[in-house]
Parts: sequence; structure tokens; C-alpha cells
Amino acid sequence: MRYDQFRSIGIFSVVPSIHGRGQSVPDIGQLKQRGDVSSLISLLNNPDPSVGWRAAEALGTCGAMAVPPLIRAARSPSALVRIGAIEALAAIRDPRALDSLTRIARRDRLLEVRWAAVLALGELGVPEAVPVLVPLLRDASPYLRYGAATALDRAGWQPGDIGDQVYLMIGRQDWTGIRKYGTDALLPLRDLLRDADEKSREEIVSVLREIGDPQACGSCRNALKDRNPRVRWKAVLAAIDCGLASHEIPLTVAGRERTGPDPVAAAVLNFLFLGIGYNYIGKWWGFPVFITYMFIIFLAQFIFAELSYPPVLALVIAYPVTALLGIHTYYLAERMSDEEM
Amino acid sequence: MIPLLLDLIPRRKIDVGTLLGNRDIPGLVNALSSRNPDVQSEAMRALGEIGSAAVGQIVPALKQRNRRLRLGAIGALAEIQDPGAVPALAEMMRDPVSEIRWQAAIALGEIGSQEAIAFLIPGLEDADKYVRYGSALSLAKIGYQPAGDAGWAWFYAARQDWDRLRELGSYALPPLHNLLRDNDSEVRVRAVRMIGDIGDGDSGPVLIGALGDPDRQVRWEAVLASQKCGVPPMCLPRGLCRRPRMQKNPLVAGFLNFLLPGLGYGYLGKWWGIMIFQIELSITLWLHQTETAKYGVDVGEFYTYLVLFPLYFLLAIHAWYLAKNLPEEPA
Repeated sequence: MRYDQFRSIGIFSVVPSIHGRGQSVPDIGQLKQRGDVSSLISLLNNPDPSVGWRAAEALGTCGAMAVPPLIRAARSPSALVRIGAIEALAAIRDPRALDSLTRIARRDRLLEVRWAAVLALGELGVPEAVPVLVPLLRDASPYLRYGAATALDRAGWQPGDIGDQVYLMIGRQDWTGIRKYGTDALLPLRDLLRDADEKSREEIVSVLREIGDPQACGSCRNALKDRNPRVRWKAVLAAIDCGLASHEIPLTVAGRERTGPDPVAAAVLNFLFLGIGYNYIGKWWGFPVFITYMFIIFLAQFIFAELSYPPVLALVIAYPVTALLGIHTYYLAERMSDEEM
Repeated sequence: MIPLLLDLIPRRKIDVGTLLGNRDIPGLVNALSSRNPDVQSEAMRALGEIGSAAVGQIVPALKQRNRRLRLGAIGALAEIQDPGAVPALAEMMRDPVSEIRWQAAIALGEIGSQEAIAFLIPGLEDADKYVRYGSALSLAKIGYQPAGDAGWAWFYAARQDWDRLRELGSYALPPLHNLLRDNDSEVRVRAVRMIGDIGDGDSGPVLIGALGDPDRQVRWEAVLASQKCGVPPMCLPRGLCRRPRMQKNPLVAGFLNFLLPGLGYGYLGKWWGIMIFQIELSITLWLHQTETAKYGVDVGEFYTYLVLFPLYFLLAIHAWYLAKNLPEEPA
């Protein structure tokens, strides 16, 4: 089913409208008939989602004359305006939008906007879009990879080598198909282990296990240090099947990226400001300890001054004590950080 | 608030046996609000032994604000199994607290009256999985048979019988769409997956809505499911744009760093923010003392802030800039 056909079955009419509470609904049909592109663009940012949808749809039917203002709108600070403009450009399919869409696909701050631009590049149907889309198959975001794979499929692109073919399949989330490439798939799989999405990393490690080749040991080592415990567990199974020495596995897992509090930060904080380190590792009583500590220090400084001793003596006495408590916090934080293997 | 404070006062354990021996129904109803679950259960069973005679005094307890009392009262009515309590229990199926609705659904099943079916069927559409499950079990207990495939679909969805639900194809879509309201993200993930497996194009708007789900896994499953339902990919980014964002406000970070230098960094999750705050505090005090000592009069405050305010301003801009450039949360 194509984009415009899908629109015609009324998907956008189902999006709930917030109008009907005394607000007037903009007459998008009339604006469309008049070819009032600038008014339609201003509606893309309407707080009612259904108005935004319909304005983008109407702009998509305005044809070539709407392209220059839409390209300008695609640089708007509002994400909704950018997405609406990209949707309209995708529907118009004018090659003049190529440069603008390329820039957005590569550099926009928001993932959704980049994703829309990638899909729109596929809708343009111009061969110049292919060199922009192919590198996006290697992106760390599954959304962009999926978008690039979809767009390249629409452009009828055929991968030049097995590596690109595997990247394309990963982009399509075709995990079953990747398995048949065996060791040829190892390099792209290792590359995409940096994926932000845990589920994708889990799938990659599962495929590595099924391939079961010793060349995958390096990737298994990386996955054993993953911050997600499910990925780590799958990596343990994969490492065994790929022939990684069993005694190496616990050592590698122990070197994993910890997600809990930083022990050094906890110790430094408790050494300098006793109590704040405890607060940092989630102990509610850390702050009262800090207030008490500060009160004692001020009191001690005052007393030392009265007795004609240097006030700094209070800190000289306090620091060995806080150093010990800093070490205590270090071990507490170390035990707390990511205990689950 | 007052009942909560009263709960803090230790009380003598209620002797439910004596209350039952005296047939002290108000005392037993009062015991239903006990914090001790054993006492609550004993009181429920005791009222069950008394039977229908107690119903009239239990029903008003259903309207009390005390949640434990309402739960206990529903449990007591379930023990008594008097069909006369069905309208009062049906009322509890609209309670805003999901535990109460769940308990009411179970109680209606315990009573076993055919009259309860009409009140349990809406329970299959509840947003809470416990209420749905309880309603389905109670309906099965009463011997309810849904009229057609559409009815069975709601029944299986409430029982989380995914295999049978899948077999019903498009009939399963309305209950599956309803499951996307569930608080449990695991349920929403399964519902989205199954919508994809059914592959009906009519699910498009619901899947686009699911792209704005607070859970990452639900969002990604919605992308995959929409592919199977023929949703044009171009429609998806706008749906994802509605996802909740946990971005830090740059203005808040800047404001905090200006007023309390260092705390703006703390707000951004930098552990050393509190250190900067402390160091700044010490410098302020030191400058104040030094300047006052230098000029002999208390002009320290003026000079201190003359020196420090530009620094605060710079720190505020830095925190604002850091917040503005924080990496986006993965979609």
C-alpha cells in the first residue's frame, strides 16, 4: 500500500482532534484550493495533531510551486514543522528537495526528523539519493537503519557486495536471513554492536552464537562487557559456542561497563564534604550527615579561634576521618554499581 | 490524613472470635479496616458465617474512603454470597482504585449470580490487567459463553490467552487496541506484536499512536508491526515525535547555576556540581572577609558580588549550553 493510498483510507481522520472546545477549526480544504502554501505551513505547528497531519497532506498536493517554501520550512526550529514539510516534500517528489533532505538526514538534531528525511529521500526516487542512504545503513540508530533500508528498497538499490547486503538485512531487521551469510556477516555484526537499542544488540549476539565461528570471539568479548545484563548473558552463550576460552569469560564480564554510581566520585565527595558522598550513592541520610558535619566543623573552628589555635586545625583533624569514610564510600559504591551480572 | 496518623497509634489486637460470639456486626465491619491482613480475613470469614443478615450493614462500608475497609467489605460480601449484594458490588466495578475493581470482579464471580454477567463484561475492557483477568475468571465461573468471535476475543485478551487470541484474526483487534492502554509495558509489547502478526491495515492509526508510547520497546515493536500492517513508513516519524522526552530544561540549569553556582550542574547529573557549589560558597565567604578587613567597613558584600556575579553569569551560560547540547535520549 502506498503513502497516498494510505492517506485516502482516512488514517489521519482518526487522529484525535482537540478542537470542539470553542476553537475554530482551520478550513484546510479551502486553503488547499486557494494554494495558500504559507498559511498551510503555519498550520503544521498547530497544537491539534490532526490539523498538522491534514496540513501536511494538503501541502503534499500543492505540487512544484510549494517546494521552495517547504524547503525553507524544513529549516524551521519547530520539529513538527520540519516533519510536516518533509512529509509534504516526500509526497511532491521534486528532486529540488534532494539537497535539503540530504542535509537533514545527515545533521538534524532530532532522530525523528532525520528518520523522516531518510524516508523522504526514498520517496524522491532519484539515484542521487542512494550514496546518501547507503552509509546510513551503518548508523547506530535502528530507526535510521530501518529507514535507509526501506528507502533503498524503494529506490531499487542492489548491494554491491556481501557486506552491504548484510547491512541491508540488518536494516530490515531480517535476522533470520543474516544467519545464512555465516562468517561474511561477522564484520557488519561487530560494527553494529554499538547499537543504542538493547534488543538489536541481543539479536546480533544471538546471530553470532548461531554462526559459532572463532572469528566472532572479539565481538563476543565486547558483548560480554555490555551494560545490559540480557545482552551479557547471551554473549556468554555465544562466547562458549564461538570457542572463547571459558576462563576468560568471567574476567571479561567483570570488566564490563558499570552503570551504578562512580566509586571514585563517591569517595571524593565524602572526603571533601562528608555525607554528600553517601547522598550520591542514594542514602537519604547523607545530607543530614553533611549538615551535622559542617556544623561541627564551624563550631570547632570557632572554639579553636577562641583558644588562639589556628581554625584550620579543625580541618586537619577532620580530614583523616573523612578520608577513612571516603574509602568506606568507595567500597559501598563499588558493591552497589551494577551487581547483577 | 487523620486515619493515617491514627494508624500510627498501636492498638490492641481485635478479638474477632468474641465479636462473632456477640454477633457484633458493626464491630466486625470495623475490623475489616484492620492493617493486619489476618484480622481482616478473620473478620471477613466471621461476617460470612453471619450471612445475609450482615449485608445491610456491610454495604454502607463500600462508600467509605478507607481503601482497606472497602476491600474488606467486598471480601465479606464475597464470603456471604448473597445475590442481593450484586448491585452494590457492580457499583464498585467503577471505583477509581484498580485493587477495588479487581476485588469486586472476584466477589461478583463468588456470588455466582447470572445478574453479575452484565457488570463483569465491561470489566474485560478495563485498563488494568488484574481487573480484566479477575473479570474473565469470574465470568467463566458463572458459566458465561460469549456470543461470537468478537466476544471471545475480549474474553481471551482479558485472560492473556495469546494463542487463542491470534487464531481469531481481525476479531482480536479491538481488544488488542484496548490492551495498549495497560500500565504494564510487557502487555503493550505483546499486544503490538500480535497486531503486527494479524497484519490488518485498520490498525495503522493505533500503531502510529503506539509510536508515542513511553516505553522504548513498545515504540520499536510498533515500527515493526506497522510494516506488517502496510502502514507507509513515511507516516511513522510524526508518531515517534510524540514520545515523551526526559530532556533537562536548559533554562532551569542556567537559572540554578546563576543563583546557586554548581547546583545547575548537579541538576544535569554531574556529580561534581555539589563540589563547585561548596567551593563557590567558601570563596564567597573568604572574599567577604578579605574585602571587609581591607576597607575596615562592611563593604565586603558589595565587592564580593561585584567580582562574583559575572562569574555566576558565565557559569549559568555554561550550564545552559551543556543542557542544550545533552545527547538526545535514545528513541
